[in-house]
Amino acid sequence: MDNKIEILEKKITGLVRKAIKQAVTTIPEDIFNFFKKLYKEEDNEISQTQLRLILENFQYGKKAEIPLCQDTGILNFYIKLGNKFPIISSFRNIIDKVVQEATTDIPLRSNSVDPITNKNTETNIGLNSPPISIEIIDSSSDIEIFILPKGGGAENISKLFMLDPIDGLEKFPLIIKELVQEAGGKPCPPIILGIGLGGDASNSMILAKKALLRPIGVRHERQDVAELELKIKNSLNELNIGIMGLGGKVTCIDVHIEVSMRHPASFPVGVIVQCYCHRIASFKINKEGELIYEA
Amino acid sequence: MRHNINLPTKVEDLLPLKIGDIVYLNGSIITARDLAHKRISNYIHEKKPLPHSFNKIKNTALYHCGPIIKKINEKYKIISAGPTTSARMNSVENDIIKFLDIHILIGKGGMKNLDEKNLKVIYLSYPGGCGAVASRMIKEVVHVEWLDLGSSEAVWFLRVDQFGPLIVAQDISGNSLYK
Repeated sequence: MDNKIEILEKKITGLVRKAIKQAVTTIPEDIFNFFKKLYKEEDNEISQTQLRLILENFQYGKKAEIPLCQDTGILNFYIKLGNKFPIISSFRNIIDKVVQEATTDIPLRSNSVDPITNKNTETNIGLNSPPISIEIIDSSSDIEIFILPKGGGAENISKLFMLDPIDGLEKFPLIIKELVQEAGGKPCPPIILGIGLGGDASNSMILAKKALLRPIGVRHERQDVAELELKIKNSLNELNIGIMGLGGKVTCIDVHIEVSMRHPASFPVGVIVQCYCHRIASFKINKEGELIYEA
Repeated sequence: MRHNINLPTKVEDLLPLKIGDIVYLNGSIITARDLAHKRISNYIHEKKPLPHSFNKIKNTALYHCGPIIKKINEKYKIISAGPTTSARMNSVENDIIKFLDIHILIGKGGMKNLDEKNLKVIYLSYPGGCGAVASRMIKEVVHVEWLDLGSSEAVWFLRVDQFGPLIVAQDISGNSLYK
């Protein structure tokens, strides 16, 4: 194998290993700051009691280098691959190897159960898992990899709605509100919502998950989409579900929408629900293997 | 109001616990989630006795949790152990707590159709996601049963110290913090 490719693969392997650990043990700054602020604002005693423990957990997980939540989730890999980045041998092999090692070393909980035999591989790999999504970025010679550990409690609330185009746009915020109300404390609120509007069935779900990669507080660049994000977020915060469903001012941390052209006959709305413990890590390198950022 | 409860406990000690109160537990608890619930249900239906180790759990607490466990020098250690969503156990929980003679449930998100009054059971909410700090309150892995279910689905017998804050979310009179 070309020596340069081998060096790049080693570099990616090392950074993925580091990013998995970072993702499961350290809460990103945007979420940490959100909770610090919420603790100052929330006057209800039950919320305050929970917020104290949540903030303590964020700090202790990082310090002790152990998973913040025992549900280290299904590790979703999202790769933005520059079309000028050298072709490497296999993302699947690199990721599988690192995930299997991380499962023993960190350790992670193994969340890889065969749907027919019910056997857990205890390795977090096997049968198309962990999921890897690759997007080719034109005119780029960089690679950017995001790791999103997705827990089961919140993912179980996720849903695809195929609405009628005649009133889909008006209806979908109400349907989402009903979904969140019905879910109550199950997805570990306050939640973050990723929504894929338009596309077809599969694409709207992929966009919904991709929407979760955006930092909280960052609005969609299109004004009309950004307004929808805020409208839905504000309507969810009227529900008084609060932290873990025990009541309180904040039910939703943020809503992120990604959009795609739809078929004239379809109005797909993909909704991916994320728990408050929104763990994510990412990095970017160029084709020389030089680090552009890691977070 | 804050309460300290030592396990095993008497049902009478649970009567003063009202929704919104804060509880800290000391003593023995067990974990059980989806597959352990299914297996206990099978034992009930087949009228089979549970393994002997279950004899000691009467009047302790059942924690809906699938922990991360690591074996260090032949001893199991809890790495992270927050709660899992209790509602998945809705359909079988009444039968199970009656069979095990347990009166305290710990989990997250609350339960539907729980027969609090007749079974004299309370539901305590532990903040989801707080698995790392929970590992500090779990002092010892005393025993494990049914490891064949996988380490996160097995029944772990644990000794806890000042395990909390747990919020009384459903009390023995059937009051609930969930709308």
